[in-house]
Amino acid sequence: MTEIRNCTMNFGPQHPAAHGVLRLVLELDGEVIERADPHVGLLHRGTEKLAESKPFTQSVPYMDRLDYVSMMCNEHAYVMAIEKMLNVAPPIRAQYIRVMFDEITRILNHLMWLGAHALDVGAMSMFLYAFREREDLMDCYEAVSGARMHAAYYRPGGVYRDLPDFMPRYEVSKWHNEKDIKRLNENRQGSLLDFIEDFTRRFPACVDDYETLLTDNRIWKQRTVGIGVVSPERALQLGFSGPMLRGSGIEWDLRKKQPYEVYSEMKFSIPVGTEGDCYDRYLVRMEELRQSNEIIKQCVDWLRQNPGLVMLDDHKITAPKRNEMKEDMESLIHHFKLFTEGYCVPEGEVYSAIEHPKGEFGIYLVSDGANKPYRLKIRAPGFAHLASIEEMVKGHMLADVVAVIGTQDIVFGEIDR
Amino acid sequence: MSMFSYLKSLSLLELLKGLRVTGEHLFKPKFTVQYPDEKTPLSSRFRGHHALRRYSNGEERCIACKLCEAVCPALAITIEAEPREDGSRRTILYDIDMYKCIFCGFCEEACPVDAIVETRRFEYHGENRGDLIMSKEKLLAIGDELESQIAVDRAKEAQYR
Amino acid sequence: MVKITINGNTYEAQAGQMLIDVADAAGIEIPRFCYHKKLSVSANCRMCLVDVEKAPKPLPACATPVMDGMVVQTRSEKAQQAQKAVMEFLLINHPLDCPICDQGGECELQDVAMGYGQDSSRFKELKRIVPDKNLGPLISTEMTRCIHCTRCVRFGTEVAGIREMGATGRGENTRIGTYIERAVESELSGNMIDVCPVGALTSKAFRFHGRAWEMQQYPSIAPHDGLGSNIYMHVRRNKVLRVVPRENEAINEVWLSDRDRFSYEALESSERLLHPMIKRNGKWQETNWETALNYAIEGLKNIIATYNADAMGALASPAATLEELYLLQKLVRGLDCSNIDHRLHQIDFSDQNDAPLYPYLGQRIEELEKSDAVLLIGTNLRKEQPLLNHRLRKAALKNTGMINEEISANIMLINPVDYEFNLPIAEKIIAAPSKIVSELASVAKALISLTGKNISDEITDLLADVSTNSIHEAMAKLLNEGEYKTILVGRLASTHPEFSKIRALAAWIGKITEAKLGYLAEAGNSVGASLTGVLPHQGIAGHKVENEGKNAFEMLTKEHALKAYLLLGIEAEIDSYAGSNALSVLEEAKFVVCLNSYKTKQMQQYANVILPISLYPETSGTYVNCEGVWQTSHGVIPPPENVRPAWKVLRILGNLFDLDEFNYDSSQEIQDDIHKKTVNVSLPNNLQDWKMPESINIAISNEGSRELEKIIEMPMYAIDSMVRRATSLQNTQDITQAASLYVSSRQLKDINITSSDGTSLDTQMPIMGDERVPDGCILYYAAQKDGFFSIWNESFKFCSSSYHVE
Repeated sequence: MTEIRNCTMNFGPQHPAAHGVLRLVLELDGEVIERADPHVGLLHRGTEKLAESKPFTQSVPYMDRLDYVSMMCNEHAYVMAIEKMLNVAPPIRAQYIRVMFDEITRILNHLMWLGAHALDVGAMSMFLYAFREREDLMDCYEAVSGARMHAAYYRPGGVYRDLPDFMPRYEVSKWHNEKDIKRLNENRQGSLLDFIEDFTRRFPACVDDYETLLTDNRIWKQRTVGIGVVSPERALQLGFSGPMLRGSGIEWDLRKKQPYEVYSEMKFSIPVGTEGDCYDRYLVRMEELRQSNEIIKQCVDWLRQNPGLVMLDDHKITAPKRNEMKEDMESLIHHFKLFTEGYCVPEGEVYSAIEHPKGEFGIYLVSDGANKPYRLKIRAPGFAHLASIEEMVKGHMLADVVAVIGTQDIVFGEIDR
Repeated sequence: MSMFSYLKSLSLLELLKGLRVTGEHLFKPKFTVQYPDEKTPLSSRFRGHHALRRYSNGEERCIACKLCEAVCPALAITIEAEPREDGSRRTILYDIDMYKCIFCGFCEEACPVDAIVETRRFEYHGENRGDLIMSKEKLLAIGDELESQIAVDRAKEAQYR
Repeated sequence: MVKITINGNTYEAQAGQMLIDVADAAGIEIPRFCYHKKLSVSANCRMCLVDVEKAPKPLPACATPVMDGMVVQTRSEKAQQAQKAVMEFLLINHPLDCPICDQGGECELQDVAMGYGQDSSRFKELKRIVPDKNLGPLISTEMTRCIHCTRCVRFGTEVAGIREMGATGRGENTRIGTYIERAVESELSGNMIDVCPVGALTSKAFRFHGRAWEMQQYPSIAPHDGLGSNIYMHVRRNKVLRVVPRENEAINEVWLSDRDRFSYEALESSERLLHPMIKRNGKWQETNWETALNYAIEGLKNIIATYNADAMGALASPAATLEELYLLQKLVRGLDCSNIDHRLHQIDFSDQNDAPLYPYLGQRIEELEKSDAVLLIGTNLRKEQPLLNHRLRKAALKNTGMINEEISANIMLINPVDYEFNLPIAEKIIAAPSKIVSELASVAKALISLTGKNISDEITDLLADVSTNSIHEAMAKLLNEGEYKTILVGRLASTHPEFSKIRALAAWIGKITEAKLGYLAEAGNSVGASLTGVLPHQGIAGHKVENEGKNAFEMLTKEHALKAYLLLGIEAEIDSYAGSNALSVLEEAKFVVCLNSYKTKQMQQYANVILPISLYPETSGTYVNCEGVWQTSHGVIPPPENVRPAWKVLRILGNLFDLDEFNYDSSQEIQDDIHKKTVNVSLPNNLQDWKMPESINIAISNEGSRELEKIIEMPMYAIDSMVRRATSLQNTQDITQAASLYVSSRQLKDINITSSDGTSLDTQMPIMGDERVPDGCILYYAAQKDGFFSIWNESFKFCSSSYHVE
């Protein structure tokens, strides 16, 4: 009798369906997964250690590069940790801006997830639609911070600059005549808030389109329903958070349970799943797109009516305005010292977590009273999720691994740090 | 499965609905931008390639205070300074290593004299090893080339900074 | 002891201590500008205001003595208000210079403004502008930035002893500066840079070169005087950008001499030798180490084979490290040669077998402050050992700092030139070099007759013909009266042709008065060189050798010229008193190996191989200072290009000669070895170690003689290769004035300087009248790079007096 042996194979790190640099070592019995061993560390950049060698503010740009599809949310957890230690709160307008951009970021992240997930499973056009909407949101990012992805926009004490009163516009070219340009620029006539509002008006219809393409689609359902089922108990035990946890039917959302910034003022609901499979998690995220859209709308309304400071007026922590810096001595000294030494943060430790699009993203910060962190620990939600991959794919077919990776919404920037 | 859903599935209704969505897009105006003939609009806050600016009388702005070097999280900036013949404080070396730069814009924020700026230029390349280590001369040349746009952008943003 | 409460905690303090000292000791921060622990309290910046219970207004912590039961708050509302207000006033007239100011990043004004000031200004009016002052080639000024803390003024009067600086005007019109526009020339002026809390006084050499945050700080030891001052080197990208003092109460306190502070500039000198060089067929070529070392070994082996090992000699710089000196003597002695020396400036070696093992200060440096009677013999102490001079100044003024205060220690001196001292001199004798011995003898005689003590009959006989006058008697009286007495013998004595007699006389005076007798070690490792046996008559730890070798002076004179020389870190023609003789002797030598960090024209005339060695910041090594303390420093930057630490070069030379026990892998191993061999050496007893002179000359009047006696001085900033190449130091008055010859101004017009053969002399150097020079003498400065050789040659023709150096 011939001996039958399981087949061990590498999935990634250069596999087109393995997100980023995921390397899975799979043990297969035929096409059935016996064992899945994720390898991490291929994208390790030592962010935590890097942060220990820089003044607090200088690490903000490195936070963007953790989960590089939800940049501002990473920044948010970090600056909140510093603010907690300094015992300061940003101006209320800054808080609204942060909430608005957190939700914009959530949409950005979920669109990215949706496009990639659908593409992995076989729905090509989803990817294009998702990226079309992302483009508008990227423009919002660029309008406030000057960068389409790595914004470095949130700062301890607020946000770097107020929202602009104008949007950049398309220009006539040999490909687009004046009429085309007029149409393209239609939503760019006013301020950034007008642009965002226009987006929120259009977006629910877009989500409807996505759902038309996927929600009832038999192939989509065949690939996701009943795949990667996690019971609520297991989800808790595995340290799931965010849509992964809510997909298993546990109503847990830091924005509601431990409201930070102005989330307590916002009206929105938490979608939860029932089965805990990939399809449920898909539904949860789709609903989150709609809820985020609602939150953005509320923020836009508030921000329109309440102009004000977006940065703390305490130049022991935040840099003075440029014209002040050029004219008065105190401001110049503070500018100089803040950009060289930074500020000292009182001794102590703090954990600050936000509801990141992927789950609970936490920053644990220890300060010894110096101008640099003594220790920075990043709690990345994806790490706990990836750890459960074996449990989720065991007994499934090889093709389902792709669906599970998709549903976990894995980004290696945050996992490897 | 109920009889109704069996029939419904036979009708391929949900697939047809999906096809309608994609079909509609066939007739919608395209949003494609024909790069490089045309480009998406750039914000006046855009953080692209660096440049060193001059005053209108041609004097370089940079006074070698080294704040940008100090604040740079990526340690991409290297400056050497010494007194110029007229006794003023000037750089003799101002290098930005574009291989290291992370375009955070902190250098521009730190600069007390608006000398180092991040321009709208985002397309650049090097053909030889080391081409992207931008020297003071190269940065000043970019500044000279783009000064009109730089000045307009800074003026526009002045109220926010 | 009193008990006071600061911020709720109780502390014990000495009654009368200032509040700020108590707070500093307890680690409680109080902002300050004018207060400096080594300077007097002026309480004029008002930054240190604190809230004292029961006091109606906040009090300055620096000028408030503690009292029992005092309750102090440093961060109460009242104190903070006061601090904020003071800070606001200080910044009103401060220019917006931070970005272009060298102090930025290490500025006390910035730090205090961040910590205690408000974060934006209410002042919208115009700021004042103050013209800059000229404070010489070392300090650059931006007086608009001055906040009138007067630290520099107090440093000037209390430490440096310069009274020119002060504050004029009031309120906004206050100006700090010299009353009459003139450069501040002080051997300690660099410390003003350190005491200035803002960017008003900054280092000229360092100007715009770096920021505090981009430099790494490494500890090191400065080798330019016998003190071994503790320093920090500030390094960026393997370049030393500046040197600052490292606090060590026992040695340099918080100060640093300008020489130690600015010598780092020589690291970047254009004369730096970067590759080994050999002379082949009369042509110099750069080569690699292997070739150069083999060439050197071959040359030396040839000499030894053709003549014998005694045809070779080695001379070392006393500024080299202990390890280098030890290996050099081990190498030379390993080749059965005893011609080795480091005493390049000495002329009289007659008592070398009876002299102390090394030039010991006779006491701890700190103990100098206790002195109440000091006799200085032949020293321009201010220039030779600036910080020892400061210790004496403290003794003389007992820390009051004020020139007019009652004098505490009586400082007396016997010098060939009436040098300027920045401390009160009780008695002084200025005599031509030929009269120094007899003047000293007169003091000894006056002491004997005053005390009636008789050391030995032999001495009484020797002193029989010596006469005394009232100054000698006054000196004797002061020396006899003091509690703690010190006699210090300086460079002008140790380079004296009758040094042995001076040594003996100083010891006698010391014995009679029970004073400490100290020698001022010239260089950073003069002590170390003697200790390790870089001497022709002694091995390591004073170990006697069988056949005494030739001393430095002999080796460089024609009669005793050798066939081959090994020179470690010296430019023999400049660094030795044999001068131009040295040059011709070396030129005639068959084989000369130079281990040096620089190459010079002269070196290329006489050397056959030049091996590039590290300067002190580039190598690890030990320095033994004048009080016998060992201090080890580590290399702070790597040597440039093909330069190697000298100990490694010497080790390889030892290996190539197949000598035993030369396999050292680190300078630490060498140090351990030296330590093992010198562990039993006790401190020398300077009062015991001297040789009985055969006679004591009684000064004969040379009035009317047309011959001039030479007084040779080493300019303060030309004492070693490194200092000579420190560009800033070379622009100081000390160097510019060295380009002239000086005779007594009374005699200037009478003197027609001719050489001994009667022809008139073209020295290319101006001859100036100088009140300080005694009649019949000519003062000139040695160790100059340019124009030096012609002078040195001519100098032999000046005089045919007893000070013939040939």
